[in-house]
Amino acid sequence: MTSFTKRRAGLIALAATAVAGSLVLAGCSGSSPSTGSTGGATITLGTTDSIVALDPAGSYDNGSFAVQTQVFGFLFDTPYNSPDVKPSLAESGSFINPTTFEVKLKPNLTFANGDPLNAASVKFTFDRQQAIGASGADGGNGPSSLLANLDKTTVVDDTTVDFHLKVANDQTFEQVLSSPVGPIVDQKVFSPTALTTDDAIVAANAFEGQYTIKSYKVNQLVDYVKNAGYVGVLPPAANAEVVVKYYKNSSNLKLDVESGNIDAAYRSLSAQDIADLKTATDKVTVTTGPGGEIRYLVFNFKTQPFGTGTSTPDPAKALAVRQAVADVINRQALSDLYKGTYTPLYSYVPNGLTGANTALKSLYGDGNGGPSLDKAKAVLTAAGITSPVALDITYNSDHYGPQSGDEYGLLKSQLEASGLFTVNLNGVENVTFSKQAPNDGYPLFQRGWFPDYSDADNYLAPFFPQGGFLHNHYDNPAVDKLISQETGETDAAKRAAEIGQIQDLVAKDLDTIPLLQGAQVIVTGKSVTGAVLDASFKFRYATLTK
Amino acid sequence: MAEKTHAASGGLIRYLVVRFLLIFPTIFILVTLVFFLMRVTGDPITASQGGRLPPDELAQRIHTAGYDQPIIVQYAQYLGQLLRGDFGTTYSDHQPITTVLTTYGTATLELAVYALVVAFIVGIPLGMLAAFIRDRWGDAVLRVLAILFYATPIFFSGLLLKLVFSIWLHVLPVAGRASTTVELKMQELSNPTGIYFIDALRTGDPAALPDVLQHAILPAVTLGLLTAGIFLRLVRTNVIGTLNTGYIDAARSRGVGEYRLVTRHAFRPALIPIITVIGLQIAMLLGGAVLTETTFEWNGLGYQLNHYLQARDFVAVQGIVALLAVIVAVVNFIVDIIAALIDPRVRY
Amino acid sequence: MTAVPAKPRGTWLAKVPVLRELRQSVGVQRFMLLVGVIITLVYILVALLAPVIAPYRFNQLQDASGTFPGSAAPSATHLWGTTIAGYDVLSRTLYASQTALMAIVAAVIISLIIGVLLGLFSGYFGGPLDRILVVVCDAIYAFPSLLLAIVISIMLSRGQSSLWSGIMAAALSISVVYVPQYFRVVRSEVVRIKAEAYVESAKVIGAGNGRVLFVHVLRNSVRTLPLIITLNAVDAFETLAGLGFLGLGIEPSSAAEWGYDLQKAVSDVTAGIWWTALFPGLAIVLLALGISLLGEGLNDLADPRLRRRSAEANEAALELEA
Repeated sequence: MTSFTKRRAGLIALAATAVAGSLVLAGCSGSSPSTGSTGGATITLGTTDSIVALDPAGSYDNGSFAVQTQVFGFLFDTPYNSPDVKPSLAESGSFINPTTFEVKLKPNLTFANGDPLNAASVKFTFDRQQAIGASGADGGNGPSSLLANLDKTTVVDDTTVDFHLKVANDQTFEQVLSSPVGPIVDQKVFSPTALTTDDAIVAANAFEGQYTIKSYKVNQLVDYVKNAGYVGVLPPAANAEVVVKYYKNSSNLKLDVESGNIDAAYRSLSAQDIADLKTATDKVTVTTGPGGEIRYLVFNFKTQPFGTGTSTPDPAKALAVRQAVADVINRQALSDLYKGTYTPLYSYVPNGLTGANTALKSLYGDGNGGPSLDKAKAVLTAAGITSPVALDITYNSDHYGPQSGDEYGLLKSQLEASGLFTVNLNGVENVTFSKQAPNDGYPLFQRGWFPDYSDADNYLAPFFPQGGFLHNHYDNPAVDKLISQETGETDAAKRAAEIGQIQDLVAKDLDTIPLLQGAQVIVTGKSVTGAVLDASFKFRYATLTK
Repeated sequence: MAEKTHAASGGLIRYLVVRFLLIFPTIFILVTLVFFLMRVTGDPITASQGGRLPPDELAQRIHTAGYDQPIIVQYAQYLGQLLRGDFGTTYSDHQPITTVLTTYGTATLELAVYALVVAFIVGIPLGMLAAFIRDRWGDAVLRVLAILFYATPIFFSGLLLKLVFSIWLHVLPVAGRASTTVELKMQELSNPTGIYFIDALRTGDPAALPDVLQHAILPAVTLGLLTAGIFLRLVRTNVIGTLNTGYIDAARSRGVGEYRLVTRHAFRPALIPIITVIGLQIAMLLGGAVLTETTFEWNGLGYQLNHYLQARDFVAVQGIVALLAVIVAVVNFIVDIIAALIDPRVRY
Repeated sequence: MTAVPAKPRGTWLAKVPVLRELRQSVGVQRFMLLVGVIITLVYILVALLAPVIAPYRFNQLQDASGTFPGSAAPSATHLWGTTIAGYDVLSRTLYASQTALMAIVAAVIISLIIGVLLGLFSGYFGGPLDRILVVVCDAIYAFPSLLLAIVISIMLSRGQSSLWSGIMAAALSISVVYVPQYFRVVRSEVVRIKAEAYVESAKVIGAGNGRVLFVHVLRNSVRTLPLIITLNAVDAFETLAGLGFLGLGIEPSSAAEWGYDLQKAVSDVTAGIWWTALFPGLAIVLLALGISLLGEGLNDLADPRLRRRSAEANEAALELEA
């Protein structure tokens, strides 16, 4: 917990609503959801996700959150086609003093089983998250670290709750309430100190989202039916029933959606599958939306060539090596390898989020996003490096998709073709990788990130301040200070500017080199309409109709 | 055919008791092996949260969960749990291990039975045929076929079969154990058995069973041919072996036809080694199930095992391996009993 | 093909293992053995000559004329096409025979040495150690080898998919499964021979324990070993391929490996790109076929029940010669 406390320790300014951002991503489309009549047909959807737990206190992963998004309600939630959070189960929410965020609930809320959803439920939910996280009853698997800034939750009256924050004016708190830690649970069904089993939750019908679950077999088949009592910010489900089928093998998922055995496929099809399905326009529609997922290359400042922990430490040369690598990389070729399902990324905050820029585009390569060998040579020569630099690059062979090997093989080929580098490439399986990467195990390594919520801060605060996720010995006090400022900045324009400055500063230091940004993709049968993929990065089944 | 004396039957009981008691150390050795092997490869928290949490937070969670304790302490705790009959709850999907074993075990069992049926239907007649026409070109073709059956990796033969029958000809489903609608109906039964053959009948829907069987064809053939190749080879060798014995020569001199010699006289004694091998085949079938189930989305133990392994789900992997060990040990025990009953020389 | 009676040659040639069996065999049996020998030899040649005959390096993505196209159909520049990443399928398929052979050699050597030695000592000295070994071997036999391979590959390499760790993971895990098999065969042979008169007589004339063991037992159990060795060889490279197929194989820029390439090709196949899966797949099947034919051929000749009469006559003649 310490690091999360630290990263929120500098919040200074007063809170306002979350950043409003218009999200535009080249090639993205999202039709508006039909909110009219409820279609009678059941929609079958396939996915390769897997569920860890239905209980929000026991899971912190995309597969479980995808289910929770459909069946639980949040105090704040993201309406369609928007990254903003709006009050959902809440009627309103605001800071009544710098460390108290007060939420007023909508009146007479109930769970689908009739149990009342009141201020006590909210307090129960967050107390429970904290208790289970602290005791380890979640098996170390819960999202409680997202609540690092929450001191305690108190009930004011039946529909009013106060969140007492450790650090004043947390700008991202509303977003946190819409994140995996935020689903409100039924105090009559869930245990306050232990995880509640999936079957118990389903049997008690303790849901309040757009759907309830009619029948449930974990990681095999989940049958959702529309929850008529849903009163959140989203419109009620446009379909009556959705069946989700779980796959392990993405090629089977692809074949089933292509042949019409299922109506839709969401997460994850291989690049080859998507490219092929795009050509099958008579059978399916491929819809892409902005993706929050990013891929980047990390330098360990201690062990990289000329790093502080090597026999020839030299910060200037080390920087020159990083710059030369950035000059030589051809992101478009990497994107082509992924058949466009990943697009080039030129900054730390992905394109589409408020405050994002393309800081690296003008600084490195040919200035237009392409590589430049001359520039790389010039940088290295200027720093006094004449012989080829040996790079040890390690990638995670099974966590960031099946194509990481190809991606890094291409990267190696690009770097070596320049004649400036020799590359020793290693693929390491996930668990070993996750242990070694933050412990000085690898001089250069692959990383990826999927946001907890759609705010630029989630791409900055976890990484660059000391003690963050990367642990690569990068330290720039100016960056740390700006991140603190930005997180508490009430003026939206000013905050966006600060986010831009952070990216510019880090781009000069090259803590990491951003490479690619992933798109969300859903493939639907010809008769299915209404798919919405937006910058909330939550996919809702409720918009689909057949 | 065995001549039984009183001494021999006393020896048999003693042999069976010893043989039965040996099952326990077998399982114990395997479970211990898996326990230590799994622990040195990392922990489930790093597996699931290592790509998301900062290292100190990760270390904190690992400490709370006790995965940083000395491995021998963890082993003692584990044995204590086992003795109390607590097999644990999986880490990566929060299911009691007993549920995991019954849910996925029944699926694997069903697949194994189908595969054995295929293996018998294909392997035994072809093996007899090969013995009948031994050392002729037809025999050579059958033998090469047998080798192709058992030497082609499942992930390649499965892919080819799927390509031909599902993608080109569109006659069989791509993957899964049943269509979604049928599966939903079975899921909504009270107390589904997990064996789709039975559940399909219980739904009362006449279309359910054909649907389930259709889905079973490709996985059963893929896995079954593997064993069929071994059966073919085994039947051929043993039938030829018995054809050369004096007993057959005697029958032949009595004027018994060659066809009848192979199918009746030579086949029955040749069955003994085949029964023995079936025991060993169970282990191989279960091993082959990992790849077959992944190829065809067959929700069985093998399908889950790879997932649990990647998640470093100690509890699940230990449970599944222990179950496999029990099955293999029990089947081998039964096979040994049969072999001992038939041939007294087997006994110690 | 007609059976050509083997002409008597020099005695040293008659003692070279496979050649001797080839001479003994006739008809269909000889044909199958011959095919097995030829396929195996071709693979060994390809493995040795891969750098010469392959048009590109296995990890080459570009040449003087530019970057290779991804998923390109077979053409003059890439005879068997390219993979999605742009690797040349022909080159990778050829180079992968090196990887497969290394895995085979490593696995057979490790399992043979450990299995035979354990079998010899356990069978000869008997006692509680022998009993424990028998139980342990029975237990290990039930262990799914692929699971073991996965765990060993993670342990051995700390998850790093280099050439060496990938091969050793497959070799070691297959050894764990095969050691019990060698152990069983050799041990039962030892137990049988120990009781036989000529070992006793050898002892009487003063031959040491070690000599008695090695000479007599090995000579007598050598008949069943060739089949196990070939099964061991096939399982070794198929386990390597299985690991590759499960995504735990060797990193594509450190070595070519059929299973890895096949796994990458699965989504190609459903998109109508057949060449990336077909060639590595066929390479696996053909090598497995070759080695298995070799093994079965040798087994036919070693098992008197399966041997044809003329072959028996041949062997009798050979034994007279020797």
